[in-house]
Amino acid sequence: MNAGHNPDMPELDISEPGLPGVDGSGALLFLENLRYRWAGSSKDVLDIGRFSVSRGERVFLQGVSGSGKTTLLNLLGGVITPDSGVVSILDTDLTKLGHAARDTFRADHIGFVFQQFNLIPYLSLIDNVTLPCRFSKTRRNRITAKGTTPADEATRLLSQLGLNEEARSSRSVTALSVGQQQRVAVARAMIGSPELIIADEPTSALDVQARFAFLDLLFHEVEASNATLLFVSHDPALQKRFERSVRMVDINRAGITEEA
Amino acid sequence: MIYGLTLKSLWNRKTTVLLTLMSIALSVALLLGVDHIRREAKSSFTNTISGTDLIVGARSGSVQLLLYSVFRIGNATNNIAWTSYQDIAKSPQVAWTIPISLGDSHRGYRVMGTNQNYFQHFRYGKKQPLKLSTGVPFSDVYEAVLGSEVAAKLGYQLGEDIVIAHGGGQVSFASHDDKPFKVVGILEPTGTPVDRTVHVSLEGIEAIHIGWQAGRSTISAEDALGYDLQPEVITAAFVGLKSKIGVFALQREVNQYRKEPMLAILPGVALQELWALLGVAESALLGISAFVVVTGLLGMLTVIWAGLNERRREMAILRSVGARPRHILMLLMTEAGLMVFFGAGLGLLLLLSLLLLAQPLILSMTGVQIGINFLNHENLYILGAVIATGFTVGLVPALKAYRMSVADGMTVRI
Repeated sequence: MNAGHNPDMPELDISEPGLPGVDGSGALLFLENLRYRWAGSSKDVLDIGRFSVSRGERVFLQGVSGSGKTTLLNLLGGVITPDSGVVSILDTDLTKLGHAARDTFRADHIGFVFQQFNLIPYLSLIDNVTLPCRFSKTRRNRITAKGTTPADEATRLLSQLGLNEEARSSRSVTALSVGQQQRVAVARAMIGSPELIIADEPTSALDVQARFAFLDLLFHEVEASNATLLFVSHDPALQKRFERSVRMVDINRAGITEEA
Repeated sequence: MIYGLTLKSLWNRKTTVLLTLMSIALSVALLLGVDHIRREAKSSFTNTISGTDLIVGARSGSVQLLLYSVFRIGNATNNIAWTSYQDIAKSPQVAWTIPISLGDSHRGYRVMGTNQNYFQHFRYGKKQPLKLSTGVPFSDVYEAVLGSEVAAKLGYQLGEDIVIAHGGGQVSFASHDDKPFKVVGILEPTGTPVDRTVHVSLEGIEAIHIGWQAGRSTISAEDALGYDLQPEVITAAFVGLKSKIGVFALQREVNQYRKEPMLAILPGVALQELWALLGVAESALLGISAFVVVTGLLGMLTVIWAGLNERRREMAILRSVGARPRHILMLLMTEAGLMVFFGAGLGLLLLLSLLLLAQPLILSMTGVQIGINFLNHENLYILGAVIATGFTVGLVPALKAYRMSVADGMTVRI
């Protein structure tokens, strides 16, 4: 259930909750005194004192299941709102926005890549990639500003991600290999150049070698569009590729919860 | 936006969707078809006789008198005397009378004895007179005028001889084969029981029964002409009045006639009585059809509802790329709406083609002309109600999906 209707203002010493604090200025993503608990639960799932990601940074967030990372992702996406605290992305405090504005904000500024089954089975490759453009005028406009169309941009991204003509013309996305599907998902997250890319265990369905190849592609794309990357995974083997690595247990004071 | 997805989503499940469409189409076609046939039957029914103010026969029930005199269904319990008929005909209010004499048949079709008044005064539908498509009315004793269906079904031409069987029914063991009738005229189709009637003169009916004993005739056709062929009894009479005002007075007069028990009925009233009897079955049929439509829509509800769980991931993906729960609601609503809309459209096409196919069959089997244009005002209301109900039904899974997408967000928790 969405518990995001808590009218309580943060009690802590933040003079202007609408803006990131002193330490958060210039950060792309900034969390402060974030608390969230599921309706009916007596324990917090998330209790984050402070966490920020700078513009252009590639951050590895390591967390096992149950560490509250799914809840964190839903908070970052604006699907739910915290009971208290600040969720600031691009200097916009999501907790100050209404439902519709949060959904629009997510569509405009964040690209998601999930673990598996990222694609809509009844849509073609191109339609899957251009899906965010249906919901975000901003991302549509960024593409047309470059003098191209969403479909052409999708084709460009797909070929850049190594999906050849044959794979691109595949009639159904379900006919693709898992690795190919994940690359289509990356293209969808990247289209229209959102500022923040959030990847949630995108490599867990891939074999070891494919994991690193996938990471290379992802880094390349993120760099090419000057995006910021928050990469969530339980797999510590991947962390050495990142500039910065953060453990969920270190930022979440709520500790292990019963969340599945 | 989301609407572009709807068609693709439906296409992805085309088999299920097609089956759902078909069940909706069939139910809509059934409902509209039943309603249409009901209307057509009623109008055809009430069109069987018009312009006749009273029908007079032997005392029985009014529906029974109507059935045998107008619809040629069943038999008269008794006859009325020619003299009684003459008394009525001479009444000052009476403009015209048509005497009819029933009881014989020709290959399953009723034979009706009458006189020239029949061709002159009988009206059906909207006061339409009978017209001959070919030939002339009978003038001689052994001449016959055929209803259009009799001529068409049995393939009779002018000048052919036909033999009348004693009594009704398809098969008769006693026939008046010594006194054949010559076809002199064929009537145009009317869509009424007239089409299924063989018309001869009252004298003709009299002639074939002269000397009729134990199923055989003892007097030849030529000899019969020498007898007095004025009938002594007739089955019933249609009566037209000079002024409608006198109808109840004359009806009372006939009903209180001293010399024999008689019954006079107003055809319109008797038709209403008869239709009220049939109306129960007709309403039941319409009610059942309405339930069939509800079943069809519930089928759609089941299909959408059952698919919801396996589409949770799809909804979560849509949410992650920026879809709002409202979009999910619209997606589901549009799917249901499209299914109902196209289902109803398909139903209309189905009914239209069925009617086109069945129209000639119904006409040749029952003589009833079924119109093709079933889209009258009331049927459009019915159609609107079906589509509105479909949308309402579609709201149920859509609201469920809405709640699911709010709860799940971008990740499906199982």
